[in-house]
Amino acid sequence: MSGTSATPDAMPDSETTQEGPCAPDELRALDELRMILLARDRASVVELKSALDALQGRLDDDEWLARAVAPILSEALRLKIRDARDEMIEALYPIIGQTVVRAVAEAVRDLARSVDAQMRATIGPRQLWRRLRARVRGVDSGALALRDALPFSVSQVFLIHQETGLLLRHVALGAADADSDLIGAMLTAIRDFTSDAFGRGSQEDLDEIQVGDRRILIEAAQTVYLAAVVEGVEPVGFRATLREAVIAIAQANAPALRAYDGGSAALDAAEPLMRTLLASVSGVDAPAPRLSRGQQWAAGTLLVAALVCCAATYGAGRLIWVATRPTPAMALTPTATASATPTAIPTAAPTTAPTATLAPTDTPPPAPQTSAPTSAPTSAPTSAPTAGPVTGAMTGNAFVHEGPSLTAPRTGLIVRLGQPVEIRAVSGDWAQVRWIVIGEGEQTGWVQLAWVATLHMVPDAIITPGAEP
Amino acid sequence: MTISKKVCLLGDFAVGKTSLVRRFVYDRFDDRYISTIGVKVSRKSLVVPRPGGPIDLVLMLWDLAGSEEFSTMRASYLRGAAGAILVCDVTRPETVEALIAYREQIEAASAGTAVVIAANKIDRLPPGARCARADAIAEALGAPLVYTSARDSVGVEALFRELGARVSG
Repeated sequence: MSGTSATPDAMPDSETTQEGPCAPDELRALDELRMILLARDRASVVELKSALDALQGRLDDDEWLARAVAPILSEALRLKIRDARDEMIEALYPIIGQTVVRAVAEAVRDLARSVDAQMRATIGPRQLWRRLRARVRGVDSGALALRDALPFSVSQVFLIHQETGLLLRHVALGAADADSDLIGAMLTAIRDFTSDAFGRGSQEDLDEIQVGDRRILIEAAQTVYLAAVVEGVEPVGFRATLREAVIAIAQANAPALRAYDGGSAALDAAEPLMRTLLASVSGVDAPAPRLSRGQQWAAGTLLVAALVCCAATYGAGRLIWVATRPTPAMALTPTATASATPTAIPTAAPTTAPTATLAPTDTPPPAPQTSAPTSAPTSAPTSAPTAGPVTGAMTGNAFVHEGPSLTAPRTGLIVRLGQPVEIRAVSGDWAQVRWIVIGEGEQTGWVQLAWVATLHMVPDAIITPGAEP
Repeated sequence: MTISKKVCLLGDFAVGKTSLVRRFVYDRFDDRYISTIGVKVSRKSLVVPRPGGPIDLVLMLWDLAGSEEFSTMRASYLRGAAGAILVCDVTRPETVEALIAYREQIEAASAGTAVVIAANKIDRLPPGARCARADAIAEALGAPLVYTSARDSVGVEALFRELGARVSG
């Protein structure tokens, strides 16, 4: 029917059919028939067109489309993940895997930076002592650094009256919360609630609350409880410290707590102890668990070995010092053989007075100081007995001259700070000194007296009379 | 000098306990706590005259849920209370009768607690009208009765002052 109706409907009214031209009345009749027959179809077409336009409009609206598809998509994904898990993982890995890898890498980098900072900071004796203690307790330096990189801190401590829930004291690292009393009371309410709802006995109380990265650790005594807001992993023994603190506070303030009437002055004395809990705590500084028998044995052995090493080091050092100290080598035979006879010949020494000190010995006389000899031989012999050697030490590095004057040529030697010397003669501000250099033997020369320190007065016998600076 | 006291608000469901608290005290926590754990704590500060001079009194108000499901928790929450406000709705006689039971609960959990009764919602009574049954129960319990309207802010300050004077004495 539609074929027969479509053909005349598509033809202009003026045209004729194959059967021949139609009379106007017939055409009119056909039109009417067509209208009657196609009226319903025409209405359907209009409705369909309208619906199609509306649908097209919605399809052009991305937001509407997303909302329409989302539930189906979610369900489709859920089914797909359930039925083809491996396939989905493979498809999503490039996205999710990369994100996870990036996050983990960033976390590891942060940790490495933190460990590096710790290692740079730990060079003081206290840190070395900590490391030693940690090692003795079986914690290697890597683990120690890792532990230090994961800090633990206590930011707030509440001391709360058990029965009333009233806040007795509150300490905080930063500015204290103005509503700490309300927080303390609500904490007590929550504690009461959990105890009533989940506690299976009178001794079962809430002892920890996790809030994101932070936790509230609770330790109770008979009349009060402490709630510490902490961040990080608490070191071994921190809970014991908290427990000891609350017990100490309860015991020390037992009368005040029994008669507590809500006064704000009560338990002032508890605050210092609470403040000690606020400081950051390191894992190694915290009380350590008891050492095992093997660890105790190892620690004892280590201690004995350390003592033996110390003793050996001391002995060796002592031997080296004795072997190298100049005093024995300076034994220039300060004999008591007084020389009553005048020196027969002019000495080459700048002064004639000290001649008695070295004579008559097997050791060769000091090198002649030809550059600045005294102009005349000593006319008066030294009649006094030979004095003992005057020893001293250099108070600074000094150039050695060939004579008792700045104008005298330098020998090219330098007497070093701390070098023990023997003062052989003094002329004005200058001293003739003699010293031993390991590997080079005995040296002699003139240095300014200001650089030589002695414990005893320089005897007149070795001072050249009349020699003024 | 500052003194803090724990005070509990007790009364049947919808008698207006939370309304009394909400309008006249400092709130930090949401009212949803009452329906979740059965209690919410608020604070009301007063200056109370005393023979040695006025003191700052801080009332820590524990607003307890009136519904039955928290009745087992109530004993814990009442422990250590220095005072209590028993609230009833003057338009609902059963809430007035329930005051006796609440007084017993208080006495069992915390003997010697100072009690004040709040006959709430008097804005729904004709002006000057009183609730005879509430008067009788208050007299029987030996507790002062204060007529209040949280909606019109009537008697609420007087209620807290009456309790403040009793718990600080």
